[in-house]
Amino acid sequence: MGTNLLDAELVKRVQSGDTAAFDILVQKYQHKVINLVGRFVSDQSECQDIAQDAFIKSFKAINSFRGDSQFYTWLYRIAANTAKNYLASRARKSPGYTVDVEDAEHFEGESGLKEYATPENQLLTEEIKRTVFGAIERLPEDLKSAITLRELDGLSYEEIAQVMDCPIGTVRSRIFRARDVIDKELRPLLE
Amino acid sequence: MKQKDEKLSLLLDDDHEAEVGAVLDEVIADVNLQYRMRRYQMIGEAMRNELPHAIDIAFHDEVMARIRAETGASTQQASREPDSVRPPSLIARSWFRPLAGLAVAASVAVVTVALWQPLQIRDGLSNDALVSADEQKIQQLAGQQITGGAVPVSTRVRDSGTHWKMENGSPVLQQKLNAYLVNHTEYSNSMQGLIPQARVAGFDAQQ
Repeated sequence: MGTNLLDAELVKRVQSGDTAAFDILVQKYQHKVINLVGRFVSDQSECQDIAQDAFIKSFKAINSFRGDSQFYTWLYRIAANTAKNYLASRARKSPGYTVDVEDAEHFEGESGLKEYATPENQLLTEEIKRTVFGAIERLPEDLKSAITLRELDGLSYEEIAQVMDCPIGTVRSRIFRARDVIDKELRPLLE
Repeated sequence: MKQKDEKLSLLLDDDHEAEVGAVLDEVIADVNLQYRMRRYQMIGEAMRNELPHAIDIAFHDEVMARIRAETGASTQQASREPDSVRPPSLIARSWFRPLAGLAVAASVAVVTVALWQPLQIRDGLSNDALVSADEQKIQQLAGQQITGGAVPVSTRVRDSGTHWKMENGSPVLQQKLNAYLVNHTEYSNSMQGLIPQARVAGFDAQQ
């Protein structure tokens, strides 16, 4: 998925003092960062705190981001280092609890998160998944193919147009219509 | 509204027709568009199985609250407007006090110079010229002859030491002088008007 234009514009706005633009970056990447931190830290509340710290650090350091890499690559490094530092700090405080920070990168965090997640939040996640997949199953075939090629396979609009043998404008329309249909079912869950 | 949503979909996919700047302006200004963007994002995450096991829908609000709390001061500092974009009243206020002080100092200087000039130059004459004119007037008065009943002070001349004698020691003059001294003493609250004369008279009498 190419997100250079949107991220670059958002970063530029944050660097010029528009804090609201950073809110959109947080909303966009929060689940990725939480999942990343979850590979290091299994406790849900700790995971959330570290993810928050990572976003705050990135906000404070955003003027040093020159755009040499993608924003998420830069954010990923900050989040991983924040989690590693947290583990190292916790290991120093608790001699009986030692974690190899290099090994922690390869942890499968999902099992840990399951243990500490609140039932309500877990239920919400499951409901969202069920609703999205249910809505996709009911989509017309052209819309289902378009959204699947885009979201699961990560193809560009041009590539989807080639695969589906249709104009790129049709691809844009199909992907939007698919999202709009799914959103109508998803919206009541999140309001 | 449909156009906005469609552009939002294009924006998420980084399509070149998304008009990134314009759509972002609308998203930042409209919280409903932000929610919709978030849901569009969530659809992709759900399909890719990237959703966390427990979604905290208040997460981004907590992050932004912490950012506001932790960086509030530095954000204000960084966003502080330079003088060039401050309202004119603020610029005027910052320069008003020194300028006002300078104006007051200048006014005092002008008044001082204006008042000093008449003291220095009277009727176009310098200080030396004024002294010279005074001396000429004294000499002129000294050379005048006493005429009529007027008794000018210059009729008293020093004889020797502190002994003064009246050149015109007529009884009429003496009578007038005595009457003046008596009248002056009556209207005076103290003896200061008479004592110097008495001292001189006493000193001379002893001699």
